[in-house]
Amino acid sequence: MAAAEITYLEAIRLAMRDAMRDDERVFLLGEDVGHFGGAFGVTQGLLDEFGGDRVIDTPISEEGFIGAAFGAAWMGERPIAELQFADFVSCPFDQIVTVGAKTHWRNGIALPVVIRLPSGGGVRGGPFHASSPEGWFVGTAGLKVVCPGTVEDAYGLLRAAVEDDDPVLYFEHKALYRRLRAPQPDASYRVPIGRARVARDGTDVSVITYGSGVSLALGVAEAMAPGASVEVLDLRTIWPLDVEAVLESVARTSRALVLQEASRSTGAANTIVSLVAQRAFERLDAPIRVVAPPDTPVPYAPELEDAYLPSAAGLTSALEDLLGY
Amino acid sequence: MATDASAVIPCEEAPAVDDDVRRRIFRCVLLHRLMEERIMLLYKQGRIPGSVYTGRGQEAVGAAAGVALSADDVVAPLNREMGCHIARGVTVAHIFRNYLGRATGPTGGRDGNMHFGVPEQGVFPLVSMLGDLVPVMVGAALAFKRRGEPRVALTFFGDGAFNCGDTHEGLNLAGALNVPAVFIAQSNRVAYSTFTERSMRNPVLAQRIEGGYSIPCPRVDGTDALAVYSTVREAVERARSGDGPQAVEALTVRMDGHAAHDDARYMDRELLHEYATRRDPVERLAARLIADGMSADEVASLRDAAAAEVAAGLAEAEAAPAPDPATLEQGVYASPVR
Ligand SMILES: Cc1ncc(C[n+]2csc(CCOP(=O)(O)OP(=O)(O)O)c2C)c(N)n1
Repeated sequence: MAAAEITYLEAIRLAMRDAMRDDERVFLLGEDVGHFGGAFGVTQGLLDEFGGDRVIDTPISEEGFIGAAFGAAWMGERPIAELQFADFVSCPFDQIVTVGAKTHWRNGIALPVVIRLPSGGGVRGGPFHASSPEGWFVGTAGLKVVCPGTVEDAYGLLRAAVEDDDPVLYFEHKALYRRLRAPQPDASYRVPIGRARVARDGTDVSVITYGSGVSLALGVAEAMAPGASVEVLDLRTIWPLDVEAVLESVARTSRALVLQEASRSTGAANTIVSLVAQRAFERLDAPIRVVAPPDTPVPYAPELEDAYLPSAAGLTSALEDLLGY
Repeated sequence: MATDASAVIPCEEAPAVDDDVRRRIFRCVLLHRLMEERIMLLYKQGRIPGSVYTGRGQEAVGAAAGVALSADDVVAPLNREMGCHIARGVTVAHIFRNYLGRATGPTGGRDGNMHFGVPEQGVFPLVSMLGDLVPVMVGAALAFKRRGEPRVALTFFGDGAFNCGDTHEGLNLAGALNVPAVFIAQSNRVAYSTFTERSMRNPVLAQRIEGGYSIPCPRVDGTDALAVYSTVREAVERARSGDGPQAVEALTVRMDGHAAHDDARYMDRELLHEYATRRDPVERLAARLIADGMSADEVASLRDAAAAEVAAGLAEAEAAPAPDPATLEQGVYASPVR
């Protein structure tokens, strides 16, 4: 019998549930994650199954409960902390980059904490509820940053993140929560952190992307075939970057475009452009491109947000341009 | 030390504090004082890179709090609590190796001065960002509570750090989660050059901790090591027995500048003189030991032993190898991706 279909959101919930069933040390904390089941309902049902000791409603204190997650991890626990919106990562930023990122390097203490960050636009959230702030952490030694773009990865990356010994920032995309469906992954399924995946083979151009960009790129690639053979590289982890996978893809196609939902000077784009410029310049037949929103906060009005976010039309024309260079 | 022994106010009588504890605390405050005197010299000679902060005048707090903990408890000392590390069993040589930036020190030369932890001894590394360690230790205490372990997590903050958001989020969270955390406020009434009168409306931290967070917070004379010990010990045991978070406000005076570069010209000279001559925490404890029957010779021999320990520890640290730049990128991750 084929596995039942689940949504991206359900995959996240199942990954937490399975991790908690497998390992007593795993517990959840965050605002409204218990009785209410999370602002987006991701943690629904977990309080009933695991009780208040393992699903902890915290005060509105991002510095407080992210710091506490690190302290509990020091003592051997494996906390999963939920931020209500990724935007609020500005509040515990210091705990993450100071305590989370530097402690192992400084003093050899592992801090296995997963921070879940519901990110991204398309939900009319405006400047404080629709950001993609993952780029703030790209390049920060000691942190790992993962951005699932599929149902399978939502499950497999979260399971891997919980088992990882370092702090992992898990950026889950709100617009994908109920949009993506796929058969439920096996409970043993893991996605290795730090490895990209070729989501679609191609020979003419590489679209290097992550998160919400994956389904967008796959749709455009499909629509442009067979006229153009578009490879889609799903980074999965944007820090530390899978350098080899990027270079290999660029070597195959000789044309590269970075697609991301983070505004163009943030995200992973600059790191990839820099990498390609330094290590694959001679392989390129055309300058590398970036398709990303402008350098502004995420706007609210539908007319503005629709213009702001990367679109299939925008990606298609950028690819046509690049292929015709 | 140019203290007039007759002027020194001995620690209050503390018959409940046994001889072994007194000696342990005395060793910690002595080592703290002597090591920092040595560190200041090394700094002026250019042998310690970066900056140096001392806990002069505040030694009793870290030392006594450290001794009040049990072996399984955990602690996050800050800059002014070297004696707490010593109480946990961290060696003089290990501390010096951090100041000297040696490969075999607690951070292997990656961080300096008091910025280190010793996880084997349950000591979390200080981070500079004031307030950060309050929530972190609340989390350690949460782990103990979850597992039903009779352990306590303790940390310190200055009155300056009491103006930081993380401190307050941590205090509130400790109460909301009802965890066995103990907080020691080091109230020296100054943060770098800014006095509490200029940084807060109500500088009585105990009132704010009790009134604002319903966390018991007795005040204690922070220059009286035995009083600090008794008060912290009770707080630790209340936390351990399930009474939830506890705090103690220790009143002290910072006898040196904020750091080695700071001549503390903004400090009240008369107050400093009073504390140097009458309320030096090391001398107050020595005076109590003598008042309770220890011979002057024995006190002198404990001082000599501490001085010898400092000299030996420094020699050991100086002989330690320098870090190898080729190792710089090792250990960024506990589980490297490749
Ligand atoms: C968040 C933050 N801001 C500024 C500093 C720089 N700084 C280090 S210690 C200090 C004063 C701290 O005062 P207090 O907390 O009272 O402790 P004390 O120095 O008196 O022991 C300052 C401003 C810092 N370490 N962290």
